[in-house]
Amino acid sequence: MIFVLRMAVRETRASWKRLLFFFICIAVGVAAIVTLRSVIQSVRDVFGSEAKGLLAADVLIATNREWPPAARATIDRRLLEAGSTARTETIETPTMVRPTDRSKPVAKMVELRAVQPEYPLYGAVVLQGADRYSYALLRDHGALVRPELLTALGVEVGDEITIGQAPFAIRGVIVSEPGRRVGGFSLGPRVIIDYADLPSTGIISFGSRADRRLHAKVPDDRIDDLVRELRADFKDDFVNTRSYRSTEDQIGRDFERAENYLSLVGLIIVILGGIAVSSVTRVFILQKIRSIAVLKCVGARSAQIIAVYILQVMALGLAGSLLGVAMARGVIAAIALALGGSTSLLAQAHYGVTWSAAAQGVGIGVLVSLLFAVVPLLQVRFIKPSLLLRDESVRRRRDWLSAVTMAAVSAALVALTAWQAASLRVGVVVCAGFAGLAVVLHFAGRGLVALVAPLSASRSFPLRHAVLHLSRPGNQTRVILLAVGLGAFFIVGVRSLQASLLGEFSVQVDADAPDMFLLDVQKPQVEGVRAFLGDRSHGAGEFQLIPVMRARVTAVSGRETTLDSPEAVRQSGMSIGREFTITYRDRLESNERVVEGAFWLSPSTEPEVSVERDLAVRARLHVGDTIRFDILGRPLAARITSIRDVEWRESRNGGFVFVFRPGVLDQAPQTWVAPLKGPATPADRARFQHDLVVRFPNVSVIDFHEILETIRDVMSKVTLAITVVGGLVLFSGVLILVGAVAMTKFQRVYEAAVFKTLGANTRTIARMLLFEYGVLGSLAGAIGSLGAVALTWGVSKYALEIPWRVFPREHVAGILLTALLVASIGVLSSLDVLRNKPLATLRAE
Amino acid sequence: MIELREVSKTVMSGSEPLTILHPLSLRIPQREFVAIVGPSGSGKSTLLGLIAGLDAPTSGSVLIDGVDITRLGEDALAKLRGEKIGFVFQFFHLIPSLTAYENVAVPMEIAGVDAVRSRAHQLLEEVGLTGRSHHYPSQLSGGEQQRVALARALANDPPIVLADEPTGNLDSANGRLILDLLRAIHQKRGTTIVLVTHDRELAALADGRLVLRDGRVVENTLHEDADKEAVRK
Repeated sequence: MIFVLRMAVRETRASWKRLLFFFICIAVGVAAIVTLRSVIQSVRDVFGSEAKGLLAADVLIATNREWPPAARATIDRRLLEAGSTARTETIETPTMVRPTDRSKPVAKMVELRAVQPEYPLYGAVVLQGADRYSYALLRDHGALVRPELLTALGVEVGDEITIGQAPFAIRGVIVSEPGRRVGGFSLGPRVIIDYADLPSTGIISFGSRADRRLHAKVPDDRIDDLVRELRADFKDDFVNTRSYRSTEDQIGRDFERAENYLSLVGLIIVILGGIAVSSVTRVFILQKIRSIAVLKCVGARSAQIIAVYILQVMALGLAGSLLGVAMARGVIAAIALALGGSTSLLAQAHYGVTWSAAAQGVGIGVLVSLLFAVVPLLQVRFIKPSLLLRDESVRRRRDWLSAVTMAAVSAALVALTAWQAASLRVGVVVCAGFAGLAVVLHFAGRGLVALVAPLSASRSFPLRHAVLHLSRPGNQTRVILLAVGLGAFFIVGVRSLQASLLGEFSVQVDADAPDMFLLDVQKPQVEGVRAFLGDRSHGAGEFQLIPVMRARVTAVSGRETTLDSPEAVRQSGMSIGREFTITYRDRLESNERVVEGAFWLSPSTEPEVSVERDLAVRARLHVGDTIRFDILGRPLAARITSIRDVEWRESRNGGFVFVFRPGVLDQAPQTWVAPLKGPATPADRARFQHDLVVRFPNVSVIDFHEILETIRDVMSKVTLAITVVGGLVLFSGVLILVGAVAMTKFQRVYEAAVFKTLGANTRTIARMLLFEYGVLGSLAGAIGSLGAVALTWGVSKYALEIPWRVFPREHVAGILLTALLVASIGVLSSLDVLRNKPLATLRAE
Repeated sequence: MIELREVSKTVMSGSEPLTILHPLSLRIPQREFVAIVGPSGSGKSTLLGLIAGLDAPTSGSVLIDGVDITRLGEDALAKLRGEKIGFVFQFFHLIPSLTAYENVAVPMEIAGVDAVRSRAHQLLEEVGLTGRSHHYPSQLSGGEQQRVALARALANDPPIVLADEPTGNLDSANGRLILDLLRAIHQKRGTTIVLVTHDRELAALADGRLVLRDGRVVENTLHEDADKEAVRK
């Protein structure tokens, strides 16, 4: 044991510099794991403790319709029984806002929240500057708005805005508010007004999209009972009850999932480092053959020698992991510093490396180093001391012990990944995916190396030798291609996907297709809106006015599916439990095709419905089945008379899952929507919205161009995040590259000495290195690029269902930049190959 | 006592078998200083490797103190070498990442003996390298490296030292120094020494001689049946 310990220390002393880069790679992965886990754990603590603030209540009861008549009485009774100490109500609805000043012809969709004096029961509305929130700011037509609205409308605090038909004075700017989800998608900036002022706006009419919420304070020990009772009371109504505890649980689960999945990114970098460790161990053993033979000659057993190197790998793995933890500390300190001035909930977290994250990171770093080093180290057994007497090459051999070890290592890696992702399935999928990717990259690498092989017959001496070097014994070509290729793959892949998605949205918006959407047009306004849109002076192009109603399925009676209550529908798992927007008409749209039954041509008093094919398949609905609907509180049973195929990509005039036969719903309360081609320039679009809202204050306008901006913004953030990940992977790849160069340098130094002796000058050798790494970089870039093509194809076809497009600029740039990066790093880290004097090198050999 | 019974060695040269050593039997008594002589490719080093258990014979058996080492596994062979055999190579074969002291200490550490430090320093002193113990092989001259290798061979005080052309890579002065050290070891410790050389002059210094040519013994002047003590008397 003393021998093993001492030898491990001596070997580490002698070789740590050469092995350093691989363990920095482990450090980067560990740092990623520790940072992500620690930050998410810190944030989770805050969000968990602030769950009441997020919900702004102990219990929240909500509906997106008018409160059912009996519901209020039930809620009052239950709250009384539960000993509720306070309650307050809010209404949220999207609506249009415009400056009251007519010289500013703009209008913008906002998310309006009307609140009562007791709001918020928990948490706080934080305002800009020295202002503190109080209900008095809202009283008598006061409004608090998000800063982006000021910019969009060109107004400031003190100015007036008009919501619906009523003017409101802007009295403060919102920084944060309870109940707003971080990073959630919104239709527009928040505006808060007084609940009592809402009716004066006239925007809430029958069928309007409005969320009515009742916030209650309830003693802690009564919360769960109250939630259970209310859920039972309203199981057949569309009333939703939540407590801060269920929110806390949900947040906990969301964060845990995020933590586990994000940490996989770190694990992938660690595994990449592990692959590099495996490769470098192989080369290391090759370089140590004589020393190992000597040790065997003086009495060391194979197991002892393997133990020496395992100990060394573990020591370096531990050092790398500890370095990773230190790096994580630095990054986390920087995050805390960056958030210092912010007032968001994120800034309230106490950031620091958590013990559990650090322990996991270090454990993973050491374990991965060990797992990946074991198999190559087993080759030590095949090194014979007789090679000290005559030159013998040691062939790589496989035996049952290698096979069993390999199987055990694979199982351990799956277990490790499963542990990190907290799911065996994810563990298996990620490992299989990684193995598959590695195999594909490996063969792609081999294929590409074979492809450039003819260059080894080139007339250029440096190019010829550069190509030959790619397949020299002990080369690191495969591992560099894998590591750098993977980094390039991440970056080029994500960039191509982004370009592809943005391209797709642009096409949808740029064509003659509708790019604006009017919502909540009331029946009496239909003719007025039609006239407004038809008036060319307003700049609108083609439009349609479509009647819509919101409906839920409450029962199904059919050949295959029978569901007899709203609860049964909700729990069927057939995707029919949600709320649907329905319409009625007597013709098919151009993007629809009947696949079963027949579509009506005329109105009828018999309720009939046509169902979209995908939903029909999922819910096993057939022609002849009867579906019972609740259409804004009114029941209606309709027979299915046709199943339609809907081309959703072409559904610019609104695609509907359920279309009814005219005749039954015509007189029912309904609102109308209008897809239309808006004016071309931003100024004209702003004026158009303004003029429309002045005439029809309750009508909301969704501008696809703005939505596209939002999507572009969200996507660029996501892209940035993934690019950072890709950058980390690429950085690890570069470390592996530098390490591989350092590792095989002894070979190059010797070769360069021989070449110099034979008359090659430094320039020739520099060109040789440049060509070699240039070719290697181009191949890695090409692998990443090919992978990216495959990725965009797969994601476009199966996940996003958009046409697949190739972006040559991204790919060419990817290949060139990777080649440049690898070539410059390769040459820079080989500078002493160029500098060394040949005689000293040859003598040392 | 080293005993070889009908030992031969054949290797594959391409697809053809090549016999390096034709079947031979011999006995080397304890405390004998033996030279194995012959031109390059005659099978000298192969024979030495077979005696040390560094290589396995194609046929026959090798006995060290009555134990048939051809029946031992790699680990048992390593243990036997650690205890009974010291080896000196033509190309020194020091571990480049270890200092002179550490190279000498390694066999003792493997064997788990006590007082490694003092013994290693004593051995380095014996070969005249007192002040060089913390130098790495690359900082030592060829002669110095071979002396470290000799000290390493003696680390566990083995009864047998096998030396494969120990002077072949040295100038004559350093070669002479190594040879003198080997003779001193032989005389002071009574170590059996088997020296492989192609230099007949060096071989003449030995008690007995085995001359090989093309894998066959052409001359044998070993005192095979006598114990060294008896011969001296």
